[in-house]
Amino acid sequence: MMADEQTLSRLMAAAQAGDRQAYAVLLAEARRWLLRYLARKVPPAHLDDLVQEVLVSLHAKRASYDPGRPFLPWLAAIARYRWVDHLRRSYRRAEVELGESDAAHEGDADAVMARISLDRLFGSLPRAQARAIELVKIEGHSISEAAARCGQSEPSVKVNIHRGLKRLAALIEEAD
Amino acid sequence: MKHDSNSLIDALVDELVPVRPLRRAEGGALVLAATVLTGLLVLAINGIAGNVLAGAVSPMFLLANGLLLLLGVAASASTIAMASPRVGNRHDGTGWALAMAAVFPAVTLALLAAHRADLPHLLDVAAGWHCLVEALLSSLVVAGALLLWLRRGAPVSPRTAGIHLGVAATALGTAVYGLSCPAETIYHLGIWHALPVLVGGLIGRIVVPQLLRW
Repeated sequence: MMADEQTLSRLMAAAQAGDRQAYAVLLAEARRWLLRYLARKVPPAHLDDLVQEVLVSLHAKRASYDPGRPFLPWLAAIARYRWVDHLRRSYRRAEVELGESDAAHEGDADAVMARISLDRLFGSLPRAQARAIELVKIEGHSISEAAARCGQSEPSVKVNIHRGLKRLAALIEEAD
Repeated sequence: MKHDSNSLIDALVDELVPVRPLRRAEGGALVLAATVLTGLLVLAINGIAGNVLAGAVSPMFLLANGLLLLLGVAASASTIAMASPRVGNRHDGTGWALAMAAVFPAVTLALLAAHRADLPHLLDVAAGWHCLVEALLSSLVVAGALLLWLRRGAPVSPRTAGIHLGVAATALGTAVYGLSCPAETIYHLGIWHALPVLVGGLIGRIVVPQLLRW
């Protein structure tokens, strides 16, 4: 059972004050949450690396968390920032097909999850841009394969990726 | 992989030291202090304009500098907020403040278009250019304070943060510099005291993101 929002906020506030025990629990919970949050948004082989990058960012930028505010929307903003950065960097072809997420949905976090989900962020992109990013950056197809699959020309796929990533970067804090 | 993550978590826990959370009020106090320091520097270097000293400023002076101050406050608030990211944060206020403040130069441009024959006289480029440069220089302290704040935080939209920082710094800097500028016409204020904000936004958009990557 994943810790609730209030518990996570309390743990983070304690971590900011230097409580190592609270921090260890928080990081473990954050890791679980991130695995679920980022699942199917990067090739499975990259998922753990990305989660670790987010945890390192959480550590480096922990002073930017305002203890008077909810924790998960803050963590989600950090995760989105690292995810967009990851998409920008990952031009390598991933050989592994996306699998089903093995993370179960857990009740009381669902409302928060729905509001801050990556799907919603992705959904704010025009369809052609989202599809191009999905095929090349997430599923790991080459530009020519992606062009054949989505019916766009190769230059269009490149332009749509470029524009889509730019737009994603500008929308990181958007909730709806 | 799980093992790697556990090792990473152990290492991060070992490294943990207490940190002071960024408080928006603290950021506001920093900007206020930077603005007051700018005011002292402007007055020490340029002196105070005669009309301001005599308390006989025109409505145009109050209107222009009041709009700049409000814009500066709105843009500073959003810049400070961007240091503490959160899905669901909105930073629309600065856009609206900018739109309202833009009415002033827009009216000025319309008036200048209607009085094209007098354009060189109305624009007074030499004095205006001087004000543009002085206003930009007067923005540096606030810009530095906001940059410092953002670098302590975790801005997730560096480009937007850069624009807001540039607008905040130049709006506050120009309003403070206005204390030493004797010109009070709508032509001068609407062009030469508005241009620094435009330039500041552009510089912020181009230069600041590179300083904010994390």
